[in-house]
Amino acid sequence: MAYSEKVVDHYSAPRNVGSFAKDDDAVGTGLVGAPECGDVMKLQIKVEDDQIVDAKFKTFGCGSAIASSSLATEWVKGKTLDEAMSIKNTEIVEELSLPPVKIHCSVLAEDAIKAAIADYKSRSDASAA
Amino acid sequence: MADPSAACEQCSVPLVSRLHCFACNALQFPSGEVTPYEALGLPVSFQVDPDLLEERYQQLTVELHPDFYATASKREQRQSELASALLNRAYETLRSAVSRANDLLPRLANGVALDERQLPPGFLMEMFELQESLDDLLDSGTPEEIAQTRTDLTERHTTLMAGLGAHFADAEASATPDTLQTLQTDLNAERYLRRLLERLS
Repeated sequence: MAYSEKVVDHYSAPRNVGSFAKDDDAVGTGLVGAPECGDVMKLQIKVEDDQIVDAKFKTFGCGSAIASSSLATEWVKGKTLDEAMSIKNTEIVEELSLPPVKIHCSVLAEDAIKAAIADYKSRSDASAA
Repeated sequence: MADPSAACEQCSVPLVSRLHCFACNALQFPSGEVTPYEALGLPVSFQVDPDLLEERYQQLTVELHPDFYATASKREQRQSELASALLNRAYETLRSAVSRANDLLPRLANGVALDERQLPPGFLMEMFELQESLDDLLDSGTPEEIAQTRTDLTERHTTLMAGLGAHFADAEASATPDTLQTLQTDLNAERYLRRLLERLS
């Protein structure tokens, strides 16, 4: 199976690889896995005043999983939490021209965004309480 | 064993394999799915006797071989090709414990919905950290360190597979949502360990 040009681009030059300190209250961390293939993806967001100012990821998986999470970090940057919550895996599929067998990679990226936001919210709720 | 109701289409003797009758040597034309266990005539269980598997496979390979049907009717020629291909797939499925487990679990579950993403608590974080440590290891580890990590992970995989065998015995005795889910969780974890090992192979 051939990867699309955009997948190859993200795969060979992934954006925003790395990590933030997990215990920073401004950081939300999402860790998700796809046991059907053994992929694991960590996506982190840095939030200021409800806006995502930076994002990092690290993915151990196939090219499509890496490209999906790389794209996800690009897309969430500059968005509000609500806007980022509304990103759909189908948009990732479309942007990267993922074939049906790789759709679960885009689902993983959407799950990672949501998990990171949920983690950020649970921390800020806890520190506000 | 094959379905106890499955009898030879020619001589009506109960079949061992649904592909071939060992009593009268008649090629069979089974309708519907033939499971790997039915193809090789083995009891449906995670525990497979490797010698018996090998013996049946060798016997059936000879009996079903298309060369043997070269002068038979077109219908029989075609069926011997299909049956030989099915036999080879069945053998490959049953030969490896992992593929046998992945084949057998849905049969035992028989429609019971299982959580295909469930992992042991903390497992995903641990796998992520192990993957990160492999980055460093493969980048700057000594051959001895790499060999040691491979040994540790192989041991862990072996332990998991031993647990899988015991969990299959539980589920085969009593296929409840709990015993079945335990197996699904084992198989989910197995893929992560296999991916780590693949990086070190």
